[in-house]
Amino acid sequence: MIQDVVWGVSIVLMGSLALVFAWVAAGADISLPDYGPAIASAYRLRGWLFAAAVIVLIAANWRTLAELPYVSAATPAPGATVVPVDAVGEQWDWMVTPNAFKVGQTAEFHVSSKDVNHGFALYDPGMRIVAQVQAMPGYTNILRYTFTQPGTYHVLCLEYCGVNHHNMKTDIDVAAQ
Amino acid sequence: MTTEAIGTRSTPIGARTAVLAYLAVSGVVLLLMMLFGATMRLAQAQWISLDPTWFYIILTMHGAGMVGIAGLSGAAVMWYFVGRYVPVSTAVFLANLGFFLVGAVLILGSGFIGGFAAAWTFLFPLPAHSGSLWSINAAACYLFGLISIGVGFLLLHLDIVRGILSVYGGLGAGLGFKQGFGLAPEDTGPPPAVAASTMVAIVNIVGIVFGAAILVMSLVNLYVPSFTFNALVAKNMIYLFGHIFINATIYMAVIAVYEILPRYTHRAWKTNWAFYLAWVMSTLMVLTVYPHHLLMDFAMPTWALVAGQIISWLSGLPVLLVTAFGALTNTYRSGLKWDAASGLVFLGVAGWAIGVIPAILDGTIAINSVMHNTQWVPGHFHTYLLLGMIAMMLGFMTWLGGAKSPLGLAPVGFWLYLVGGSIFVLAFLSAGSASVPRRYAVHLQAWLPYDEIGSIGACLAIAGVAILVVRFLAGLRSAAAGGDDSVR
Ligand code: HEM
Ligand SMILES: [Cu+2]
Ligand SMILES: [Cu+2]
Repeated sequence: MIQDVVWGVSIVLMGSLALVFAWVAAGADISLPDYGPAIASAYRLRGWLFAAAVIVLIAANWRTLAELPYVSAATPAPGATVVPVDAVGEQWDWMVTPNAFKVGQTAEFHVSSKDVNHGFALYDPGMRIVAQVQAMPGYTNILRYTFTQPGTYHVLCLEYCGVNHHNMKTDIDVAAQ
Repeated sequence: MTTEAIGTRSTPIGARTAVLAYLAVSGVVLLLMMLFGATMRLAQAQWISLDPTWFYIILTMHGAGMVGIAGLSGAAVMWYFVGRYVPVSTAVFLANLGFFLVGAVLILGSGFIGGFAAAWTFLFPLPAHSGSLWSINAAACYLFGLISIGVGFLLLHLDIVRGILSVYGGLGAGLGFKQGFGLAPEDTGPPPAVAASTMVAIVNIVGIVFGAAILVMSLVNLYVPSFTFNALVAKNMIYLFGHIFINATIYMAVIAVYEILPRYTHRAWKTNWAFYLAWVMSTLMVLTVYPHHLLMDFAMPTWALVAGQIISWLSGLPVLLVTAFGALTNTYRSGLKWDAASGLVFLGVAGWAIGVIPAILDGTIAINSVMHNTQWVPGHFHTYLLLGMIAMMLGFMTWLGGAKSPLGLAPVGFWLYLVGGSIFVLAFLSAGSASVPRRYAVHLQAWLPYDEIGSIGACLAIAGVAILVVRFLAGLRSAAAGGDDSVR
């Protein structure tokens, strides 16, 4: 899942940066007789780091911006069955109709709210988020998702909406093909 | 001009006392809010039982209170140092503290008496839709509290702008705009404290104006429900304001690094073109990056969200390649002798730089799709606030207060805070990657291990911060008498 990749990448990058700080801190009490050459090579290093950062930045943005979740970008696969679904949030319930699907079907959630802001988050049977969109009063946001495994998916509210926010849940059944 | 860390003006005793007053208030509120934080974490772990109504009140108070004292203590750092380069008014500085205290009382009253719990971001139209848990008046009390704090900050920034204009003649000159673009020699630029204060004044004035507008609109909506407005516009305004204000706290606190670290390393902080360019770019990016809070609002124009992602990535460059790199090179084999103050400001840079990484990833639309509003978010912002901004502020506090008092338990405080804080933020981040939602009073059984580890980290961190803050408070009297420390 994306989450695991992000967690792994974060830990490696955060840990490496922490090690650099720890290394500099540990050697700080030693005094360099001449700071000049050290600072000169540090600036050369920074030039390289800058170049590397620019490359990573362009590559990462290029790659990730190609897969936007917005409906304009998320056109259904040719031949997929698209099922329109109404998903309405209201303190503190979700009304999702229909709420039974088959693996391989693409649900097109029309997400809206009758009162305050809510967050429509789709959790797979293993309780990991697979997609989400805000439910905002005055708007209908469209979220497409193709079910990949049979079981009970869950909809949780992910925008704080008052005292019962954590109980604002509903289930979606997905049958095998 | 000067790349020297030490300003030409001295800090008069009255001004110094005012700064100590800011820090004392910040320290006490910080500890109180940390205890609130621990209460929430322990409740999520189900080690204590807490009614969800109270959980959300405490969440609201913790958010507003922490953002408030981050601003207040950041302002203390900024004002203390910028006052060495430009004339500033102690009366205005104290007026800001007065507005803050009035705001704090209103906000605490709205929560603990009125039951207000719409979160510190008061997202429209939630304040008016409590499900009868809090009254219209309680919500109004909260909004007035924020307005009061905003007014204080507006006055403070305007006074600092006046001071900067009187010495540098313009905000561009205060920021080092020409030096940043190579149009003027590097060594003619303003000192770091002035560049940072100029940047913060610009962004915070803009932010507060938008914040005040949406606060007033929300207030009117409370009493005249037929006066409504577009929820998406409201969200844009709230996050423009909120993002700027909380980010500005770091840009104020980092002045402590520029000013204090060189006194230990005996190396001037290098203010070259890259430094000034970084501050110019940060000014623009802090103002424009806020759409990364709305990446899951599909109704937003796609270009704005794509820009939000790209600017999020870009905004990491000045932090990592200029400030973090600057602190590392300044410290590297400098022969410095670590103590709690130098250790804390150095840690502050590390915490900021390290916290930027998970933040940037979350600012990526494809990742935000599965991480938005999970505990990944408190995970990354507690990293650069608790272990970044607050570390810089505690470093300043220790440095300013500890001129004469022996270190005592301070190193123990430092390590408890560092180790506990790291455990605490990592527990949030790993929970976020496991899809644990943020702002949930009640967690599923499967999520409890994260909450338990996070609770342990939180308690250790609080013990550490308590040692540092209590030590500062105990030494306040002698610190006030300490006089000008520009010779340290
Ligand atoms: C040991 C110290 C701290 C503890 C134990 C703590 C704990 C918490 C907890 C449990 C939450 C709610 C997490 C959730 O959404 O599930 C939270 C949210 C938050 N914390 Fe902290 N925190 C601490 C320090 C700080 C500091 C130093 C700051 C800022 C300077 C801060 C700012 C915030 C903010 C802005 C929120 C978001 C509130 C909201 O979601 O409305 N916290 N904290
Ligand atoms: Cu909710
Ligand atoms: Cu932000």
